[in-house]
Amino acid sequence: MGSTKILIVDDELIMRESLAGWLERDGHQVDKVASGEAALEKLRETRYDILLVDIKMEGMSGLEVLKKVKENDPEVDVVMITAYGSIPSSIEAMKNGAYDYLLKPFDPNELGVLIEKIVERQAQAKENLYLKQQHKERTRFESMIGQSATMQRVFDFIQDVAPADTTILITGETGTGKGLAAKAIHSNSPRREGPFVGINCGAIPEHLMESELFGHQKGAFTDAKENKKGRLELAHGGTLFLDEIGEITMRMQIDLLRVLEDRVFYRVGGTQPMEADFRVIAATNRDLDKAIKEGHFREDLFYRLNVISFAMPPLRERKEDIPLLAEHFLRRFSQETNKSIEGIDREAMDEMMMYEWPGNIRELENAVERAVVVGKSTKIQPADLPIFRPEVCAPVKSNSLKEIERVHILNVLTENDWNIARSAKILDIDRSTLYSKIRKYDLQKTG
Amino acid sequence: MDPADAVIVISPVEEIDPELTETVRRAIEEAFGFGTREASLVTDIGFAHDANRGQYHSTPILEKLADAAPGDALKVLAVTREDLFIPILTHVYGEAQLGGRACIVSTNRLGEGLSAAPTTTAYLDRLAKEAVHELGHTFKLLHCKDKTCIMHYCRKITDVDRKSNDLCRYCKIMLGDEVKRIGREAAAAPHG
Repeated sequence: MGSTKILIVDDELIMRESLAGWLERDGHQVDKVASGEAALEKLRETRYDILLVDIKMEGMSGLEVLKKVKENDPEVDVVMITAYGSIPSSIEAMKNGAYDYLLKPFDPNELGVLIEKIVERQAQAKENLYLKQQHKERTRFESMIGQSATMQRVFDFIQDVAPADTTILITGETGTGKGLAAKAIHSNSPRREGPFVGINCGAIPEHLMESELFGHQKGAFTDAKENKKGRLELAHGGTLFLDEIGEITMRMQIDLLRVLEDRVFYRVGGTQPMEADFRVIAATNRDLDKAIKEGHFREDLFYRLNVISFAMPPLRERKEDIPLLAEHFLRRFSQETNKSIEGIDREAMDEMMMYEWPGNIRELENAVERAVVVGKSTKIQPADLPIFRPEVCAPVKSNSLKEIERVHILNVLTENDWNIARSAKILDIDRSTLYSKIRKYDLQKTG
Repeated sequence: MDPADAVIVISPVEEIDPELTETVRRAIEEAFGFGTREASLVTDIGFAHDANRGQYHSTPILEKLADAAPGDALKVLAVTREDLFIPILTHVYGEAQLGGRACIVSTNRLGEGLSAAPTTTAYLDRLAKEAVHELGHTFKLLHCKDKTCIMHYCRKITDVDRKSNDLCRYCKIMLGDEVKRIGREAAAAPHG
């Protein structure tokens, strides 16, 4: 985890194998396929950070693969692999958005430097996104809402576990409110007067994570101009919330385990042991059992975190809460935008109830926000919702929730020319979820 | 195989200066805590020779080495004077089966940037570090970002001189995990 996902596309087995072996020793997660067609198939189910594509292949050429990949997801970096005779094609590939090309056989230094450069660039982009998200998160804090029996059970559970100082692991799909549950536990605990300090382990680039968590001493590295307290220190007396814990690197897992065991840590560049008293709540949308089996997550850390665990239910399993949540968001966004919208039209509410909400509460929140902004009447109409817009809708074959979700995803993809990044943003799900939905429903780009 | 009795076998491909094998032996025992013994398991690597490149393809050598490994060999390290390659790269200093049994190091390019003959301290140091590095991969260790760690991947052989002879604390923990796992696996395996 925390490593770069690379797909090798080469029709020569020996090249695929030797390149994969080399990259795996660098700690990257590598998949390999023998043709362009297989690459596109693979990309429908998985999101890769880097593609290494041989230009000359039987069937679909490397250039065609490049074009298709860039159409769908312009943010993927594609490196072309080429032989001496194919340099003009490599130049054409660069014009079509390839990041670079490598002449095979390549010098190990050349390959290492190139991959490192791409990883650094992507980490920078991730850092910018993290900073933006941090700002967004600060402006949006909600309390937990729900009257369903499922949510009542969650509330009861929180009441039961909050007073103890035990470590808690919250699981659940993205957008189900794991962070809110963590805050609710903190607010109901004896530590409520102390700070609640969160850290999104998946959003922070690896190079910043250590200093974010442990802090640093002035001069520990080039940008360390002052001493800085890490989140562990800031959480002293309160609760430390480790969101997306499944995303941390193996190195960080080792450090974190040591902190959880000894409650002692060192700032980066520091020699003085620091002590902090905090309760740990961790959350993840990953299957950690699977991650342990695959060797991506430490079993000892899992047992440290999984003292008590519970799952946040997806919105589709507590649909009776949709009206309450939607009304709540409506009130908030009406106030924020200064629009006097009284309520939600019955037909619009029916459509909201029928939809599966793969992005859960966060997707519902975004849908209501959009409806408030674009709505012209005093009540939110079906046309205001991004879920169903008749003019672009593909035919719905049945009224099953799955079919409705399939059609909605297809519509969003079609409207956005199958731009995965943009479509995922609109659906408010991450790209990997969108890829798995595309695969699940076997969605195809047409026209 | 009982890990307590297991050894790491050092297998010279050609006749090699005993000072070199002694250096490798000491470094391995110190880094991994297992005993070592010398045995020539694969002495003819002609099958891996590529006439066009004038080099030896290391991957098939590893396969043969793993097949030839004796029962008490936890891991096998071959040492050769020949220049090695894998098809996608111009050359390699060594190769290992990640989490597997066999690895190989080549002394062919270890003298780059050194003026003296191949028994100077710097040369021996490079060989020891490369041997431990490749063996580290067989214990599932990956390249480490800590520039002083022996598992750090050096772009140039001269950079090897700057890293230490030791694993960083993270790699030590991960090595410990893997050794424990091997022990558990051996305990669970049917005896006889």
